[in-house]
Amino acid sequence: MTSAVVTAEIYGERRSLRLAEWQLALPLALAFAALFLAPLLLLVATSFFNDDKITEPGFASWAKFFGDPFNYKVIADTLLLGLKTVCATVIVGYPLALVYMDLSPRLQKVLLFIIIMPMLLSVVVRTFAWIVVLGREGVVNQALLGLGVISEPLRLLQTELGLVISLTQIEMPLMLLPLISVMSRLDPNLRDASAALGASRWRTLFTVIVPLSAPGLVAGCLLVFASSTTAFISQTVIGGVRLIYLPLVIWQQSLVVYHWPLAAVASLSLVVSVLTVIAALSYLGRRSSRHLQG
Amino acid sequence: MIFNRRSLLAGVTALGGASFLPGIAHAKGSVIATTYPGTWEDAYRTVVAPMLKKKDDIDLELAPLFAMDQIGKAKAARGAPPFDVFVLDPGPRIVGLEGGLFEKFDATKLGNLSKLPAGFTDDVGVHVSAQVVGIAYNPKKLPAPKGWGDLLKDPWVSRLGITGFQTTFGTSSLIELSKLFGGSLTNVDPALVELKKVLPKIAAVGLPAAMPGLFQQGQCDVMYTNTQTVATLKGKGVDVEFVKPESGAITFFTTMHIAKGSGDIGNAYKYLDLVISKEAQEALTKPPYNFLPVNKDVPLAADMPMKNLDEMANYVQHDWAKINPLRAAWIEKFNKEMAK
Repeated sequence: MTSAVVTAEIYGERRSLRLAEWQLALPLALAFAALFLAPLLLLVATSFFNDDKITEPGFASWAKFFGDPFNYKVIADTLLLGLKTVCATVIVGYPLALVYMDLSPRLQKVLLFIIIMPMLLSVVVRTFAWIVVLGREGVVNQALLGLGVISEPLRLLQTELGLVISLTQIEMPLMLLPLISVMSRLDPNLRDASAALGASRWRTLFTVIVPLSAPGLVAGCLLVFASSTTAFISQTVIGGVRLIYLPLVIWQQSLVVYHWPLAAVASLSLVVSVLTVIAALSYLGRRSSRHLQG
Repeated sequence: MIFNRRSLLAGVTALGGASFLPGIAHAKGSVIATTYPGTWEDAYRTVVAPMLKKKDDIDLELAPLFAMDQIGKAKAARGAPPFDVFVLDPGPRIVGLEGGLFEKFDATKLGNLSKLPAGFTDDVGVHVSAQVVGIAYNPKKLPAPKGWGDLLKDPWVSRLGITGFQTTFGTSSLIELSKLFGGSLTNVDPALVELKKVLPKIAAVGLPAAMPGLFQQGQCDVMYTNTQTVATLKGKGVDVEFVKPESGAITFFTTMHIAKGSGDIGNAYKYLDLVISKEAQEALTKPPYNFLPVNKDVPLAADMPMKNLDEMANYVQHDWAKINPLRAAWIEKFNKEMAK
């Protein structure tokens, strides 16, 4: 057999393999197009109607939404809520991931189960549980009153602080799972090597562990950000309706006043603004990764 | 055991085929009806579904949805409704009517028609329950408020929970509050101005669905709501009493409608006939469901604010044809005025 024939056969195999892969991916691609792209295009098309009956094409819904300064505040507040939740989950989650690395395999399994456990509960149940915890007569206030720390119950529910606290717990698995996944693949000898070269524990953390765990950290931040900015139930039940975020506006426009073009504009604003922040976070993640490799 | 492709396909086909078997077993089919989540869903699942099965051999499938969600889903379905029967309050009812979402209703198909007061059916549906809106408060923590105006005064205001214009009871209550300060059915600005003055003191501003939970947890101790919510909270052991405001309680009727394009119109009529029947209404009136009946043969519960349905003519009623066009602007205004 000549080398030319062998090459042709190999290429032939590769071609058929590629074809098979393409065919295998086709159902998923079609499902993706039907269930994601088509509704998205429909959403875009709906936004270009002026009236709630969706009869008159135009830009009036866009003009109305972006002509109202209040909606800029709503967009900013939504993004800010996501960023605050990301910061809180990083502050609480990262040390937990470090603890996880130092545990025995058996204890790691226990901690992993504890991390995953909140995901086994419905988000509605978790959210209502936070009413019991943060309420005027809730666990926190009763404990502080009982200890004599406060004389009047604190207002924790229906505040942004209360919302961020609860979202931190609700979204924590989304931060920890990618973080642990990346950190558990780190070579444990790197820390010893760093220490042997005279680096303190803090220096090892910031110059070795944090940069190497950056991909997991960025993935966790993306998931927590996307999830917390769209967490309608938590935002409205724990935050109340004085804290106005985009999901509440979308719900009101689509299911209370039935102005679907305005709801579509608000939805697209949410998608675009969240994707913009996600793209920025991804860019930072890639840059830090390149910096590390370079 | 080794599975090959043929045996796997045969197994999957058999399993898929088996899913049709319950349909074959249902001699007279089914009807899909919406119901409000919570007490309505519990009551209809426990009381009405078994009665319908026993009386007409029809399976009742319940879709728990708020009124606005029903209209939204029916509009989105564009002529292929995901359910056969709507249950609606006056505001969403008018939206459904304007959207042409209901089948033309023939009241003569209801065997129990004579048991309803005059005017309780029209060419789009039938009244199935009455609702009375007023003030609920915790008698262990607050004195009884006399009227809507008290809600904005101490000691009530610092324990007050409010909702916006998303629901019938929220909108109606804010209209009545507005009237005290010079507003009207179509002008709620005075209520928003007065609420804004006391906003920092107000205990909770929440979604309607969250209010009973917030009351139960002591986050607020006074709120506007309907008699049914009060009765349900009482049934759960919550300290709560209903007050009919001195300017009059608000009343409205909940109606049911057959969805346009429904595939089970015959069964839908049988379902509606059962809902207004004496046996169903009597059972729904009892605790823990506490419905206000529309059937003339069913007496009202002793702790209701009226003795009979005729008394409700003296209660406050709102014209939702005038309210609906203004509601979107009111919701926007409420958002802006109440936002932190």
